Amino acid sequence: MIERQLPHGVADLYFEEAARKAQLEARLQETFGQWSYSQVIPPTFEYYEALAAEASPQVREEIYRFPDRDGRMLALRADPTIPIARLVSTKLYDRPLPLRLFYIANVFRHEEPKASLRREFTQAGIELIGEGTAQADAEVIALAVTALREVGLGDFRLRLGATDILRALLEPLALSELQSEHVKSALERKNEAALNDVLRRLSLPREASRALLTLPLLAGDAAILERAAKEFAENDTACAALERLREVWRLLDALGVSDAVSLDLGMVRGMAYYTGIVFEGFTRGIGFAIMSGGRYDNLLAHFGRNLPACGFAIGVERVLTALQLQGDNVISLSPEIVAELDSARTLAQRVKVARGEGKRIEWSLRRCTRDELILFARQRGAREIWFADGSVHELA
Amino acid sequence: MSTLTIALPKGRLLSPALDLLESLGYDVHALRGASRKLIFDDVARGTRWLLLKPFDVVTFVEHGAADLGIVGQDVLLETDSDVFEPLTLPFGFCRIVLAARRERAQTDWRLAASLRIASKYPRITRRFFVERGWSAEIIPLHGSVEIAPALGLSDLLVDIVDTGRTLKENGLTELETICSSQAALIVNRASHALKFQEIQSLLLSLREFSEK
Repeated sequence: MIERQLPHGVADLYFEEAARKAQLEARLQETFGQWSYSQVIPPTFEYYEALAAEASPQVREEIYRFPDRDGRMLALRADPTIPIARLVSTKLYDRPLPLRLFYIANVFRHEEPKASLRREFTQAGIELIGEGTAQADAEVIALAVTALREVGLGDFRLRLGATDILRALLEPLALSELQSEHVKSALERKNEAALNDVLRRLSLPREASRALLTLPLLAGDAAILERAAKEFAENDTACAALERLREVWRLLDALGVSDAVSLDLGMVRGMAYYTGIVFEGFTRGIGFAIMSGGRYDNLLAHFGRNLPACGFAIGVERVLTALQLQGDNVISLSPEIVAELDSARTLAQRVKVARGEGKRIEWSLRRCTRDELILFARQRGAREIWFADGSVHELA
Repeated sequence: MSTLTIALPKGRLLSPALDLLESLGYDVHALRGASRKLIFDDVARGTRWLLLKPFDVVTFVEHGAADLGIVGQDVLLETDSDVFEPLTLPFGFCRIVLAARRERAQTDWRLAASLRIASKYPRITRRFFVERGWSAEIIPLHGSVEIAPALGLSDLLVDIVDTGRTLKENGLTELETICSSQAALIVNRASHALKFQEIQSLLLSLREFSEK
C-alpha cells in the first residue's frame, strides 16, 4: 500500500475552504492595489545562503533545505521579505522610490508540532521600501488596519511598539550580549519580578534600571506616551524615538485608524531584525498574532543597497480561522442550474449566455430519466433544471 | 462587556489560589467542592473559571482558550511557553532539587561515566545538566519519582520539594537546588491586547493583594 497520509503541518484545502481562501486573498490583493502596491511573485526555492543569511535566528532554524542535484544547498522560501530584499537590491534599486510591493505567497517552516502551527502556510504582505519617515510608518500601519477591516474582521487590535526605544535604553548600560538577552527575555514575558532580579544583579545605576522597569507597564492608549516622556527624560535617544512614535500616532489619528491600534512599549519581538516601529495584530478567538510587521532599515544594506524599509505580513490561514469563528459569510459551491448536455443547440446557447452573466451551471453528462435528473440536481443543491427539450424545472 | 476566562490548576495550588480570589471578592466556593465539573460560569461578574491539570493551564492560556491562568513557575519553566507572566503570587513556594539516596550522598556524581536522572521535569533537568556541561540520561516519569533510585531505575532524581519531608521519608537527600518556584499569573498575548482594561484591573487588584 502506498503512503496516503500527509506529513505533519501541511493540509489539503478543497471546496468551500479553498474558495474562502481564494476570496480572502483576492480581497487583500484588491486593497493592496488600491494603495498603489504592485505584486511580486518570488520563487519557491533559491540558494540556501541567500535565504538564510539574513533570516532571523528562529526562522533560520526552521528553513527547509535540501541539496540541488549539483550539490549546492537550496532552501524553500521561509520569509518572503528576504527574496524581496534580494530582488530590490539587485534589480529594482534605481527605480523611483519609494517602492510599494506586495506578495501573497506560501512559506515553509519546520515549526514544532504545536496546535495551529503549520509547516506550509500563506502570508499576504507588503513592503514599503526607500522611505524612512514617520509617514511611511503610518502608511504601513494604516494599510494593515485597512486590510484587516476590508476582509471583514470584526474585533481586532494592532499592538504597536518601538524597538528603538528599548535599544536606546539598553545602549548606555553597555551590557554583554547574554545580559541583554536576560533583560529582553524578562521583558518579552512582561515578567516584572524576573526583570527586577536581572537588573538588581547587574547593579546598574538607579535611573537606568528605573526606565527599563517601567517598560512592561507602558502599555495602553496614547496616554502612556506622556508617561513615557517623563520616564525617559534623561535619555535623549529614547526621547527622540518616543517623539517619532508620537508623530506616527498623530498620523494614524488623521488616517482614521488609531481606534484599532494600542501601544505597548515593552514589545521586544524581532529585536534582531526590526530597527524602529514593530507591531502585531490580534483578533477575538485566536490566541496568537494574526499578523506582524515593523521597520527594518538594515536588511537591504546586507544585500548591498542601503535602503530603509517597512512592511508587514498577514497570516492568511489564521485570518480565515478567525473569520470562520466570527461568523463569516458562507460560500456556496452548489450549481444554480443543472442543464442536460445534449445535441440541442438552443440549450447550449442559453447556457453559454447565462454563464456569461455569472451563473454557476453544471452539465448533466448522462442520459437518464426526468426523475433521475431531478434527483441528481437536488443532490447537487441546484435550484433549476434545464432539460434538453427546452423545458425548465424549478426545485423547491 | 467581554468575559474573562481564567484557568486554575488542580492540586496543591488550588486552595491558596481560591483563597486569594475570594479575598478579592470573587465567588469561587463552587470550585472547592468535589464536583467533576471543569467549567464554572460566574455570570454576574462575567468570569468563567476552568479547573485544569497544571500543565494544561499553560496550554489553554498559550492558545487563547483561557485569557489568564494561575500556575506554578516550575510548570512554566518546564513548558517553555509563549505567554505573558506579569505577576508572581505569594503562595505555592517550593524548590526543584537534585537528590540522591542518602547512603550515596557523598558520591562525586560528576565522575560517573553514565548518569541516569529520573524526573517529572525533563526539560528543567536537561537545561541544568547542559549548563553544567555534564552529560546525563534523563528518564521522564509522571509521578513517584522518589522511588526511582531505590529500585535502580535511576542514579539521581530531580523533583519538586516543599518541606522536604517526602524526600526524607523515601531515604533521599538533597544535593543541590536547581531553582525555586512560586505561583504566577499568566496571560495570553492576544487577550492582553484585546481585553486590556479587564485584565489590567484584575492585575491591579492582584498586585495590591500580593504586596500586602
